[in-house]
Amino acid sequence: MIIVEKGCANPIADRSLRSMFEDRKRVFVDLLGWDVPVLDGRFEVDQFDDEHASYVIIAGRDGGHLGSARLLPTTRPHILGSLFPELCAGACPADPDVFEITRFCLSRQQDAAARRQVRNRLVSALAWYALERGIRRYTGVAEIGWLQQILAFGWDCRPLGLPRRFDSRVLGAIEIRIADDTPALLAANGIWDIAGVPAVRIAQAA
Amino acid sequence: MFDRVDVFVREVRGLQTEAELGDALAAITRDLGYRYFALTHHVDVRRSSSGIRIHNYPDGWAEWFDEQSLSADDPVHRASNLTSVGFAWSALPQMIALTADDRQILERARNHGIADGFTVPAHVPGEAHGSCSFAGAADDPLKDGAAPLLQLVGAFAFEAARRMRRGRFAPAPVRLTDRQRECVMWAARGKSDWEIARILGISHQTVIEHLRHARERYGVARRTLLAVHALFDGTIGFLDVLRQ
Repeated sequence: MIIVEKGCANPIADRSLRSMFEDRKRVFVDLLGWDVPVLDGRFEVDQFDDEHASYVIIAGRDGGHLGSARLLPTTRPHILGSLFPELCAGACPADPDVFEITRFCLSRQQDAAARRQVRNRLVSALAWYALERGIRRYTGVAEIGWLQQILAFGWDCRPLGLPRRFDSRVLGAIEIRIADDTPALLAANGIWDIAGVPAVRIAQAA
Repeated sequence: MFDRVDVFVREVRGLQTEAELGDALAAITRDLGYRYFALTHHVDVRRSSSGIRIHNYPDGWAEWFDEQSLSADDPVHRASNLTSVGFAWSALPQMIALTADDRQILERARNHGIADGFTVPAHVPGEAHGSCSFAGAADDPLKDGAAPLLQLVGAFAFEAARRMRRGRFAPAPVRLTDRQRECVMWAARGKSDWEIARILGISHQTVIEHLRHARERYGVARRTLLAVHALFDGTIGFLDVLRQ
């Protein structure tokens, strides 16, 4: 199922959010070796995980986290604008209908075939949510190898500036335009996979 | 120069044919200080008609290259399997162990005017590796900061070519049952049928059947090839196999 959470007022009490933060630690800290804060040795939570963040989560029947992405409003502090503004050739996009996708995460507790299906559902859910919510563009910072995979989903991507090297990693910034044709573009690449997936929206005090 | 790349990205988005993409690539290659480009999947094009290959290399070079069936062995292609970050060919000796044959290929390329190249790797899971190379520069464009520009051009050009080829290199995905996949994963880790039976708590004969069906679905006769195919299309993951 697809769960959209607004803010994380009580992350540890909510099963989906709790297992998401645990999986984020396994992926970004244990697997990818990012230098990001870890809470209680178990949860990867940073300064952007606040009441302004939204989370699109693909969860199993028991609510356990399978994959997720965090959406940050670009009108407030976010990764591109606050940490990597030099990745934009001009001013970083900052608009009420532009959101930044960060922490795209697929749980390691599933095999490769299952991860790929969850990836497709998550990409589809992000496009669906944008259309539903009136988001017209997503932005994101990606390592260059991941950037090629984001392009290969088939949606309409543009670079925001030149990639740069940060220590051992080369990062680039892109924007993804979401419009009525986005589902068809994703479908042409075999990515669109959302039919029959129940959507649950848990509205919290935002 | 980012503006020039931005124009290129917008332009290729609307292109329909590989000839048009080739023209657009030739133009931006020139603008960024190089003479030649080659956008390619790393497959032997004589055996695989579905692989992308668009280039403006001089007459004679591509033919010789194909006659030798070099694509998979090409030192530039081998190096680009190691990274997603664009690299200058002068960095090859630090990336891979160059053989005598490799040196000969590079020397022969140089004689064709294809020298001092820069290659942008392009990897999409479950598909052949590819790259976009630029070569034959008069000066040294990298000195003037061309690398990040080339990186973007390579990435977006490869995706445009991929869009044009879509369907032609996307055979129906092979689907294994959960049990078959588990057996393949353990086979990839070097376990015998008997060992897999013990690990999964099923009979020896059942494991043999699962792996036979899995081989049939991929159309291969050997368990080594079965493992390679399952890794390639993402049915099993490298980390699942390598996990201690």
